[in-house]
Amino acid sequence: MSNLDISPEKAALTQPSSNQPDGPGKRIGKRGEIHVIGNVVPGGGKLFRDRIARFQAEAGYWEKRIGTVHDFRVILFDNDTRILVSAVYDGDFVPYLQDVVTQAGPWFDLLMPGVWEGFTCAADPATAKLIERQAYTADAFYAANPDLTIKDIAKMRRLSEAVNEMLDAAN
Amino acid sequence: MAVELELEDIQGTVLRSRPMPYFGTYYVFTIDDAGNAITLIKRLLPHITPAANWDAPPENAWINATFSWEGLRKLGLPREILDGFPREFIQGMAARKEFLGDVGLNDPSHWDMPHGGNGLDIGLLIMAGSPELRDAKAAIGREAVAGLGGVRTVNRLDVGLPPTGREHFGFVDGISRPYIEGQGGDPLPGQPVAKAGEFVLGYENELGVIASGPGPEDFWRNSTYISLRKIHQDVAAFRRFLRDNAETSDGRELVAAQMMGRWRSGCPMALSPEKDDPEIAKDPMRNNDFSFRTEDPDGDRTAPGCHIRRVNPRDALDGTVVDMRLHRLLRRGSAYGPVLPEGVTEDDGVDRGLVLAIINANPGRQFEFVQSQWINDGDFISQGERSDPIAGRRDRSDEFAVPRPRHRYKGLAAFSQTRGGEHLFLPGLGGLRWMVERLGPH
Repeated sequence: MSNLDISPEKAALTQPSSNQPDGPGKRIGKRGEIHVIGNVVPGGGKLFRDRIARFQAEAGYWEKRIGTVHDFRVILFDNDTRILVSAVYDGDFVPYLQDVVTQAGPWFDLLMPGVWEGFTCAADPATAKLIERQAYTADAFYAANPDLTIKDIAKMRRLSEAVNEMLDAAN
Repeated sequence: MAVELELEDIQGTVLRSRPMPYFGTYYVFTIDDAGNAITLIKRLLPHITPAANWDAPPENAWINATFSWEGLRKLGLPREILDGFPREFIQGMAARKEFLGDVGLNDPSHWDMPHGGNGLDIGLLIMAGSPELRDAKAAIGREAVAGLGGVRTVNRLDVGLPPTGREHFGFVDGISRPYIEGQGGDPLPGQPVAKAGEFVLGYENELGVIASGPGPEDFWRNSTYISLRKIHQDVAAFRRFLRDNAETSDGRELVAAQMMGRWRSGCPMALSPEKDDPEIAKDPMRNNDFSFRTEDPDGDRTAPGCHIRRVNPRDALDGTVVDMRLHRLLRRGSAYGPVLPEGVTEDDGVDRGLVLAIINANPGRQFEFVQSQWINDGDFISQGERSDPIAGRRDRSDEFAVPRPRHRYKGLAAFSQTRGGEHLFLPGLGGLRWMVERLGPH
């Protein structure tokens, strides 16, 4: 058996994955992933660092509003020349892209103009196209409980709390 | 500043509601000879009905011409223009079957209306207020194509209001539609006001930009896209489902109303949740005058997963990521096929259903978004993989949940099955002239 052969024993728990049906990103069950890599405007690194604290502070507010993102990252790398934005989220990517950049636009506008080359403001329809153009699909992806969405998890959490309260009361 | 739509240049079907009763025909042409196809357009041009006088058309009939991407390619539209169309239009609806849920019984291999990949190059839409007017318009189409080698009629589908006055599942149809800025008159209570650019290219859309098309403005100005769907309705299965889930006639009506969100008269459950009220249904000042976010957030009156809360969630998604303004549709539905006699619950093998002509300036974020995210999925309303109980796919879930009284219906059948579909380009009259002048023989 060579190093490239798949071990049947270890592959028994493999998750069927596919590409998103309408654009970039890998998909397992309800869970999707996306990585977007853009260029940084010269001098953008300082702007980024000046702004990142507020961007981080508001993450909970805006991501709750979006309501479908499990986790989200922004990374400046290669000596402030490139920016990576990645997310794991529920459902399709491209169909919701315009909504996300429209609805969470003020949050992105706190950070990206002057940093991400080509990003003028979220309201510009060119922004959604820029993101789609610079998006990459993961070559390997794993998701725990891929059929549970944010909404499902919130619902199960409420149910679990209610059941615990009921059991506590019964005792 | 008030929007002024160039009604003399916009094809009539964009703004005109169909007459009641209506008599219509869809013709499908295949192009084998581009030069003769241009001649067909040239012959049709004087007869294409614009949207002018849309409230009081001089004759209660119209004829409109549409093109698939493949049709435009065959006509010789330059490659740089062809490549600039929206992805959905370029690929064609059949190629997008996975995304649109056109799988299993809905798969394009079952379609009997040609699509852009197998014959739909030019589509002619005829709608009229009487059979005579329809036949007169159809004769124009036949005469235009007469003697032209290289342009074949490959499909014809007649549509018309069933004698019941309702679509085949028994619902009054076509009650709700957006009000387009510049269309004239005033919006009715509950009617959302939409920017013209959501439905016609050349005008500002809800993103605050002018909706545009590929190539010169003379080509795309006042054009739009029609997302055409031929939907076979399994009326017998629908009736059996009602019968199996309710013991009385009133009970069956309630199940149907829960699934639609309106009683079969058209009366919204939001305004009359306990029983039908045909007076509300008939009153345009009341039959759309309701919302969900504050009045019925949990779906106690109108179930969250019912048809009307999916295709038009109104204000239910305010405060979420979804911007409802970006996903509005202008839907023209017309029935085809004979009525299944009342009381019959076994399929007679006869094809009957709906042709939906959905007008949208951006098929990706309008028709395809609604079809894939709202009709065929339930996550946006915490309904998991449940789909639209009337129109949704059935390969992932056959359930429909009603919160109050709490009930979970199981065993929903594929009541609505796709039998055809294509994204079509509907040029303005100026665009048709541009095509004749630029693509025709010199």
